[in-house]
Amino acid sequence: MNEAYLTAAGSFLPGAPVTNEEMGQYIGVIDGKSERLGRLTLRQNKIRTRHYALNADGVPLYTNAQLASHAIKDLVSKSELSLSDIDFLAASTTQGDLIVPGHASTVHGELGVGPMEIASFQSVCASSMMAAKSAVLNVRADDKRAAVAVGSEFASRFFRPGFYQDAREAIARDDHRMAAEFLRWTLSDGAGAVIFEPRPNDRRRSFKVEWIKLVSLAAQFDVCMFAGASADTRMETEGVWSHYPSPIEAARNGAVMLLQDMVLLKRIIRAWVGEYLKLVDDEHINPQAIDWLLCHYSAHSLRTEIISILEGTGGMIDEEKWFTNLPEKGNTGSAALFIMLDEFMEKDLAKPGDQILCVVPESGRAIVSFMLLTAQ
Amino acid sequence: MAEIHSITPDTDRQFVQKTLRGLATAWTDFEGQLERVPIIEKLNRGKLRIEDYQALLRNLRQQVVDGGCWIARAASNVSVDYFDLRSRFMRHSVTEHRDFRMLEENYVSVGGRLEDIQSAPKNIGSEALSAWMFHRASQPDPFDLLGSMFIIEGLGSRKAKEWGKAIQDQLDLTPEQVSFMLYHSENDDDHLAEFEDWIALVAGADKAKLIPKTARVTARLYALQLEELDHV
Repeated sequence: MNEAYLTAAGSFLPGAPVTNEEMGQYIGVIDGKSERLGRLTLRQNKIRTRHYALNADGVPLYTNAQLASHAIKDLVSKSELSLSDIDFLAASTTQGDLIVPGHASTVHGELGVGPMEIASFQSVCASSMMAAKSAVLNVRADDKRAAVAVGSEFASRFFRPGFYQDAREAIARDDHRMAAEFLRWTLSDGAGAVIFEPRPNDRRRSFKVEWIKLVSLAAQFDVCMFAGASADTRMETEGVWSHYPSPIEAARNGAVMLLQDMVLLKRIIRAWVGEYLKLVDDEHINPQAIDWLLCHYSAHSLRTEIISILEGTGGMIDEEKWFTNLPEKGNTGSAALFIMLDEFMEKDLAKPGDQILCVVPESGRAIVSFMLLTAQ
Repeated sequence: MAEIHSITPDTDRQFVQKTLRGLATAWTDFEGQLERVPIIEKLNRGKLRIEDYQALLRNLRQQVVDGGCWIARAASNVSVDYFDLRSRFMRHSVTEHRDFRMLEENYVSVGGRLEDIQSAPKNIGSEALSAWMFHRASQPDPFDLLGSMFIIEGLGSRKAKEWGKAIQDQLDLTPEQVSFMLYHSENDDDHLAEFEDWIALVAGADKAKLIPKTARVTARLYALQLEELDHV
């Protein structure tokens, strides 16, 4: 079996950074309540700037696939490869441009090279790790020599007022309203990409992939972050958006917008920490040996919750080892880890032998994923 | 105590951390399991009825009565070497042994009859849970029961408030009608912080190694008690 090395990362963040005060121009204004919940959410997530693939009038400037394609081209410019060397593309996203066909097809089309093998991964944040694992396994199996994993999100287009105005009743209750607003004021746009090869770079730092592990707890938990069902009927057959008489009916019933169950989220966070501690117990992770932690989290308040559970267990990784760019780059879902890795590599923070633990939890229906890298 | 068991401070610390990890994962697995217990699933999905709340109280009562008793029995089996821990068990027993009165009041306040809750037999799961707790409490130096206490106090500090508030909201009740749940969340907060000290105290004792396993068995049987409502 080959080793797999992460040899380059790239990213694409559309437009200029958008401040908290400017957000409303891009995603639009729903009403006063929305603005109040927005301020509350921003205090909790501590995000200061983000990027949108919309202009200041809320008009889309890119497709999701174009964002992904730009990130891959940025990656290639930082690698020892050319675009035509890519022989595998795993593309991940939360909501692609088209309902059919798969996201990887649209990204590959934008990229305009190949033929090549592709794979589409649709989940939420952890789809990035599914794509990375697929790319890594293809390299390890000696089937591919330059396997790209890309994560991209164009969430903001779903946050414009038009996606809510016909569903006022569906989000009349405070908890439902918060389920919608938390995401509106937390998620933003961008794309990140990484490439895996069976050999390290000659001239730039590479990172050997030790392992990637992903655990789904969907059998235990109800859906927590979702689109395609209304909040109250999300676990019922008739709640699925395509089971309504028409797409318009579905939208009116709140079955199209993105929602986050904030109460269930807290329980799922504890389950994530439990899965992490099992890896510590099985000696896959030695917290004392980790030099850098790149943990994706949606909001600063969730980071605090995670730390409180780890106290006393010997599982804590010192906070000075945490690397994040959430406050400046925003929460970009499946793109976030790769955008973090790009900045981490650009800053060349790792020394040879350093262990880097990447963690991507996903509240969607309770997934948590891990990747351990060793700097070369 | 460290001299008696000839353990170094370092292995002692590692033991405490390993045990706390074992307890944390026992807890998170338990919490995941609770999500699929029918009455909790109803509660989480906003579908609880008043009969469900009555059944919950009626089925919890007999085990809550037992709660003070098994801890008292455990305390009586703690040897003099661990005098402080015996005091801790006894204190815990005192705080627990009146709780069932509040539970009965809640039951009557939502239309239940006092005779019904007092005479309800233990359900299948409660029988198993109670038998297990008394069995472990009857062993000499039953330190593994710290694992059981972690689970039961965790229910108080982490779940009771969440459940109490959800029950109150869904059934439109006053705080007094859900006081058993809400009271626990106020009082069990600081208990959890103490566990680290107690585990350090018993590190090296044979039964201490069983703390996570005893926590897991207790958690499974507690979930069974909630799964088997009114199955007597």
